Amino acid sequence: MTATWFQAPAPVARRVRAFFAPVNRSAQTPVLFDPAQQGRFSLDAPPAPWISLGWIQNFVRKPLSKSAPMLAGIPASPLEQVRETLEAQVSLEFLSWTKLTMALATGSQHMNILAAAIGATASANGAQAVPAVTPQSGSNATQIMLAATDAQEFQVGSIVAVDVDNTGQTGYVGSPVVGAYIRQAIADVDYIRRVTFNVALVSAVSNSGLTLAEPLPGGAPVAGAKVQAVEGFVDREGGSFYHEWSALFVLEGSQGERVFFHYPRLQAAVGAEETVTPLSSKQQSGQSRVLLNGRFIALPVTDPLDNERVVCYRSFLPAANALV
Amino acid sequence: MQNAKDSFYMALRTRLATINPERTILLRGAVRPGILVEETEAPMNQLPSDVFVLRWLGLGTDSDLPATMAREQCEIIYQTCGTQSFGGLDRGRSLSEMDEEILAMTVPHHTQKLDFTATPPAAMLTQVFWDEPAFASIVIQRDQLSRTATVLVYSYQEQGE
Repeated sequence: MTATWFQAPAPVARRVRAFFAPVNRSAQTPVLFDPAQQGRFSLDAPPAPWISLGWIQNFVRKPLSKSAPMLAGIPASPLEQVRETLEAQVSLEFLSWTKLTMALATGSQHMNILAAAIGATASANGAQAVPAVTPQSGSNATQIMLAATDAQEFQVGSIVAVDVDNTGQTGYVGSPVVGAYIRQAIADVDYIRRVTFNVALVSAVSNSGLTLAEPLPGGAPVAGAKVQAVEGFVDREGGSFYHEWSALFVLEGSQGERVFFHYPRLQAAVGAEETVTPLSSKQQSGQSRVLLNGRFIALPVTDPLDNERVVCYRSFLPAANALV
Repeated sequence: MQNAKDSFYMALRTRLATINPERTILLRGAVRPGILVEETEAPMNQLPSDVFVLRWLGLGTDSDLPATMAREQCEIIYQTCGTQSFGGLDRGRSLSEMDEEILAMTVPHHTQKLDFTATPPAAMLTQVFWDEPAFASIVIQRDQLSRTATVLVYSYQEQGE
């Protein structure tokens, strides 16, 4: 008789894939991953709003929740257990340096270094910037329409930041990802474009505007948005702002099974740090790869199913035909 | 374990036909993708050039698992003298091309295990999977460059195997 099932050994996987999505800080709403509806998604095309951060390494989960026995009787012996604290940490190494991985691996605001105006006073975050230009109607996530004179200010290969002016507002700023929390009004009109995650690489420039190599994370420029050239990125050790992300780590087994680790709320637990790894184990002083370290603390959510407070969901989708 | 070996070979052969349809070999009167299993062909004094030859070597098992896992070592041997039109001066490029084809053929690192004793081949329950190829140094013999890439191929034994 032909077997129609098998006893699956423990999952065998080569690596772990990471996906992140911004928590809506104003509404305090994390992004939830639904393994029933989304469990079989293509790892190369995650469901919105999840953003793939590619493969990661040295992924380590540490449950730090503490339980304690309730003692009763003489001599005292455990009667029940209670959970005293609820805590978990996650650490990993990103295999690339991008706006998003840098931001995740730092404990405070992550800023864009805006192209400096000629003669501007030096600043550690980048000097006063070249004035922003205004997108024209007809712009979308991959095409920014500009006046011909404005378009000439950009080159193929440059990076652009697209967001609104800072007009003295306070609270969470930046779209679609909150980039900072302004406690007191800041004078810099470009501040929101300094902290925005709405950045992309320019692949073509014409008299009518810019074509982007990748869609802007925030989609078409919103009303009032302006465009500025970005030279690079900067973050700082210190500060009081913590980014918050929903995270999904996927481990795909050799038999097609999947293990998901879903953290609805993660905040960086340490400041920016890097790991330096020699490319050749035989030549420790030779070329070395510099990896961004991410270490996060998981914050709790209340599961509406039963009102339990939890910090992580671990889901397992077995391989086809595997006994459970 | 034979099903895993057959499935691995057929996966690579199918992928090669897509990656480089021009890499072919005339074997026993038939033109086939340029990849063969040494142990399923007549003994050869010299391996053919510009094709991939799979040679099965080591075998290890782990029987402590719910299903016994087999680990089989596969050497992929390939060699080239370059092309006549360039007088063999392109032999380095030709070998690099074959290196890249091995990398492409081995991705994704798994394939469905098939039973080729049935016609058409019957899908089994598990997947065959493998590590990234480990490339050895180039061996130079006069105008011929050759290289070996080693792949560890894993599979689970199913009922009836």
